[in-house]
Amino acid sequence: MTTTLVDATDQAELALLNLHKKFMSESRPPEALLPLNEAALQRFELLKFPHRKHEMYTFANTKELVSTVFSLAMEAQVSKDFVKSHIFPECESSYLVIADGVFRDDLSDYSAIKSAINLVPIEEAVAQSEIKEYMADTIEKENDVFASINTAFLSRGTMIDVPRKQQIETPLQILHVSTGSTSGKVTSHPRILVRLGEMAELKMIVKYVGAQGNYFVNSVMDLLVGEQAGITYVQVQEDAMDAWHFSKTRVVQGQNSRVSAFNAFFGNQLTRHHFEAHLKDVGVELKLNSVSVLTDAEQVHNFVRIHHEAPHGTSAQVFKNIVSGKSRSSIDGTVIVNRGAQQTNSDQLINNLMLSDNAHADTKPNLMIFADDVKCTHGATVGQLDEDQLFYLKTRGLIEKVAKELLTKSFAESIIQTIEFPGVVEYLENNLLKKLEA
Amino acid sequence: MLEVKDLRAGFDGTEIIKGISLSVKAGEVHAIMGPNGSGKSTLAKVLVGHPSYEVMGGEVTFNGENLLEMDPEQRALKGMFMGFQYPVEIPGVNNAEFLRMAYNAKRVNEGKEEIDPLDFDDILVEKMEMLSMEKKYRERNLNEGFSGGEKKKNEILQMAILEPKLAVLDETDSGLDIDAMRVVADGVNRLRNENNALILITHYQRLLEYIKPDYVHVLSHGIIVKSGEKDLALELEARGYDWLAPTN
Repeated sequence: MTTTLVDATDQAELALLNLHKKFMSESRPPEALLPLNEAALQRFELLKFPHRKHEMYTFANTKELVSTVFSLAMEAQVSKDFVKSHIFPECESSYLVIADGVFRDDLSDYSAIKSAINLVPIEEAVAQSEIKEYMADTIEKENDVFASINTAFLSRGTMIDVPRKQQIETPLQILHVSTGSTSGKVTSHPRILVRLGEMAELKMIVKYVGAQGNYFVNSVMDLLVGEQAGITYVQVQEDAMDAWHFSKTRVVQGQNSRVSAFNAFFGNQLTRHHFEAHLKDVGVELKLNSVSVLTDAEQVHNFVRIHHEAPHGTSAQVFKNIVSGKSRSSIDGTVIVNRGAQQTNSDQLINNLMLSDNAHADTKPNLMIFADDVKCTHGATVGQLDEDQLFYLKTRGLIEKVAKELLTKSFAESIIQTIEFPGVVEYLENNLLKKLEA
Repeated sequence: MLEVKDLRAGFDGTEIIKGISLSVKAGEVHAIMGPNGSGKSTLAKVLVGHPSYEVMGGEVTFNGENLLEMDPEQRALKGMFMGFQYPVEIPGVNNAEFLRMAYNAKRVNEGKEEIDPLDFDDILVEKMEMLSMEKKYRERNLNEGFSGGEKKKNEILQMAILEPKLAVLDETDSGLDIDAMRVVADGVNRLRNENNALILITHYQRLLEYIKPDYVHVLSHGIIVKSGEKDLALELEARGYDWLAPTN
């Protein structure tokens, strides 16, 4: 038994190495990225694909994914109409389209904020020592094999650079389109790096969609947030049902900076999001809210690591998951308070609403505290609809089905309401919550 | 309108109401008073069909129909309303939207067309003004973060919108300061007419100075120990409940 398992993983690793060879010859990554590709590939070989008991993949079963043979998604056709249909109203002339990991200037329109940001191809960005060192450092410390794979296949990433003191009111949308395939399965490795200079402000809406199915999107987004800078972003995952969505967001926060993140998951056959934050300097605020609405056999797995590395940091997380049918959700979330990170405040709340006996919700909240003057809380609930609320609505003449639907929606709505972009709120109400209507 | 005959009911197998009979006719206001634990709230909950309470005997008809066989939502659609002592908070449900849903559920049940948000807003604003409720409560989530007084006003607002045939108000005065109580009582009084009826459940006589009952019933240990007209409330205020406790 053991040997066959090892063989299967070995085979998967070999297949990936072969795909990488093809990538080197066909995609011809820029010269400046070759050392990063090489170092990340070595990291992949060291980390290897997760075995069933891998602590980072306790809940997300990657067996089928890693044994699937992929070819590289090549720049494919995306129509302007398709793009337009996925642009939020607040971003009509402030959006970037990334198709299969490649920035498409021809499909993008960022005229409203063009003068406020610099778009730098990643191969040029790594000429700056700060970015080069950051990339090298994260490759070396990466412990998530899929993020290593992303860097091993890095060739066309984009850095969004917001200069010092530049405060941008208009939100920027990043639309990730996976063009997918009607024949074989394809994979792409989008990479976005956002750097906010001192006192800069950015609002961002990230959306993942598929034009067709049959793909594996394996994305990484880095947020480097400078001193006193602030970013508010929402990420909407709405990939094709038969796609795999893996994404990692890595946040590094400077002194007194603020990050407010919101993840909304539609789910599909397997979605996994890894959120890793480093509160590197004093006085940092981090907020992470998340909502998943899952039906049928959809899966969404969140893996969260928040590192408080300096004093006076605040982190607050709220997760709301609705699972019905045979769907699965998991939150594996750890807050690490390093020695010296005194006066840390950290809260984590995970609420799961179970609508069927066959649905599954795993929660693994965890605190690792190495400082003595901190205030940390965590809580998790798994439950059905509140009987008192249900009764209350019925006494107002709402029939059971309507009352239940209203309460189910309200469970997600209460967190969706915290999003500051009205277009996104409306979109999620009309689409994500729509999934709950029978 | 409401005929309660020898009703016995309780909770978790324990009988709390031990045989109550009550007849409420259109146009009447009945006050049900009694000390804590006398069964007042249980009676209210049984009348509106709370699933945790079980009926152990007796019968209740509402406009000639067997009330006890109806689901809570059917009772509501037939014109029964309860003002809760502790209205629940429902985060994520917009108050105005909820009120419109409830209003439309009633309209559809009456074979009328649903009303759209704009038209409903006119009705809502008018009723809110009657209760001196600030307009911001339209936009808020249902009872979420409302003060005790605002929650009670929101109950009466729902009553004003649904225009029930029979309203059972459970300790509506509790937690209200005198000004809020006056506003709530005024609102209730304005909703009274010869076609509807009211059951006020209260521990204190205070509310009855503002909403004058036609009949007062004193509940103790699950039975009505005394019924009378509104002077009885004053007597209770002066003498307390002890003199009425059942002797067995």
